[in-house]
Amino acid sequence: MDHILKINELSKSFGDKSVLDNLSINIERNKSQVIIGGSGTGKSVLLKCILGLIEPDSGEIFFNQQILNKKKRADIDFHSKIGMLFQGAALFDSLNVQENITFGIKKLESNLGDLTEIAVDKLKKVGLNSSVLYFYPSELSGGMQKRVALARAIARNPELLFFDEPTTGLDPIMADVINNLINEVIEEVGATAITITHDMESAKKIADKISMLYKGAVIWTGDAMDINSSNNPYVDQFIKGSSDGPIKINPND
Amino acid sequence: MYKYIYIIPEAIGKSVLRMCASIGSIAIFFYDFVICLFTPPIYIKSLLIQLVRIGYNSLPVIGLTAFFTGGVLALQIYVGGSRFNAENIVASIVALGITRELGPVIAGLMLAGRVSASISAEIATMRVTEQIDALITLSTNPMKYLVVPRVLAAVISLPILVIIADIIGIMGGFVVGTKTLGFIEQSYIKNTLDIIELRDVLSGLVKAAVFGFIVAFMGCYHGYNSTGGAQGVGRSTTLAVVSASILILASNYILTSLVFTN
Repeated sequence: MDHILKINELSKSFGDKSVLDNLSINIERNKSQVIIGGSGTGKSVLLKCILGLIEPDSGEIFFNQQILNKKKRADIDFHSKIGMLFQGAALFDSLNVQENITFGIKKLESNLGDLTEIAVDKLKKVGLNSSVLYFYPSELSGGMQKRVALARAIARNPELLFFDEPTTGLDPIMADVINNLINEVIEEVGATAITITHDMESAKKIADKISMLYKGAVIWTGDAMDINSSNNPYVDQFIKGSSDGPIKINPND
Repeated sequence: MYKYIYIIPEAIGKSVLRMCASIGSIAIFFYDFVICLFTPPIYIKSLLIQLVRIGYNSLPVIGLTAFFTGGVLALQIYVGGSRFNAENIVASIVALGITRELGPVIAGLMLAGRVSASISAEIATMRVTEQIDALITLSTNPMKYLVVPRVLAAVISLPILVIIADIIGIMGGFVVGTKTLGFIEQSYIKNTLDIIELRDVLSGLVKAAVFGFIVAFMGCYHGYNSTGGAQGVGRSTTLAVVSASILILASNYILTSLVFTN
């Protein structure tokens, strides 16, 4: 099986609190992998470790069979091969939509053509037109900001796309629009996608495979269509959204 | 009772450790800054934008402050000097006081209030809204993109602002001296020009460059290391202004000792 990303026994603690506990997971190329789990289970920390925003305490991450560490990330220009949609969009306040979308392209000194044309093309892909090109992030609604952030994430035609809670804070209709857009851009760009979310509607819609995190480790991985018949009590409780089950919210339980 | 014996030493120990951690953290941030300063790319557009924001936009505040400081200094020297019949030293003392001390210090402190706070709040907001993480994922070093242009702009801007503050401050003294205290205009100007040496002005400009560095560096450091959401942004802004102001006054003493004492 062709894995674009392999994570072996990754651990990370903050003080006494262990967030990732020997976590291992493999991501198949050109598949959409969704990682679900409750708040505080280590989803965001896992993503930040992959992106190099946090250094893990131990464990290894391989990207295209090459180990990822601080030096290697720079050597292989890892960040130019990825796109990231942040939970709050994270658009640069001081730059307009066009500058936001093409920000990374400038860094690559790409010969992809006129930056405005690229921005318009990417905006079209996320269902927006050129009328918003010179708007600033503060002039856009939450849904539009997410779309612009998605356009920025795909601007460099990345191999690997990361989505951090892509539907959080959006109304159900806009959330569905974003889910559809994610599916479309993944197909169009031909990228592998890793999404972390606790929105099960979103997970089922965009995932080929789903993994569940609990207490910093992967406790279940399977095809998206199998999640309702996982026979895993943790997964069952999570997708039902029930307070009864093995997952305890009160840490003293 | 037994446990209370340890409370004070424990508190002192924790404070010392926190202080050591802060000094270490600032030293690492400074090291990263120096590395980024001398490696490409340099963001010229960002530098120019910051020169306008930090330098040009600070001109009215610093100009007004310098004018009134010069005026007050003239009044105080006149009142103090008249006690031992030394009213004529007003022009000389205003000129020396402004160029050597008050020009750079007042400009530095005003810049600390205006610019250090603004830099810290801007970068801290970028930190808590994940914009700094976004920069990294877009192959951009935040230190090079955010910190280097701001610090460079402040180091370039403040000496220029101090030259202007010196001129306006001396002018403030001149206006008060000639219009209120009855000095003759020509003799006031002559006394001013006679007393000022190049070393007085240059020492002020060296101080200004150091103060500019402190202002922007502390703003960037506290903003960059901000944690804890909106409250963290407020905290980092306060810390930036307070630490920059204290460091300006402390370094002013050190620089004055180095330049004006043998």
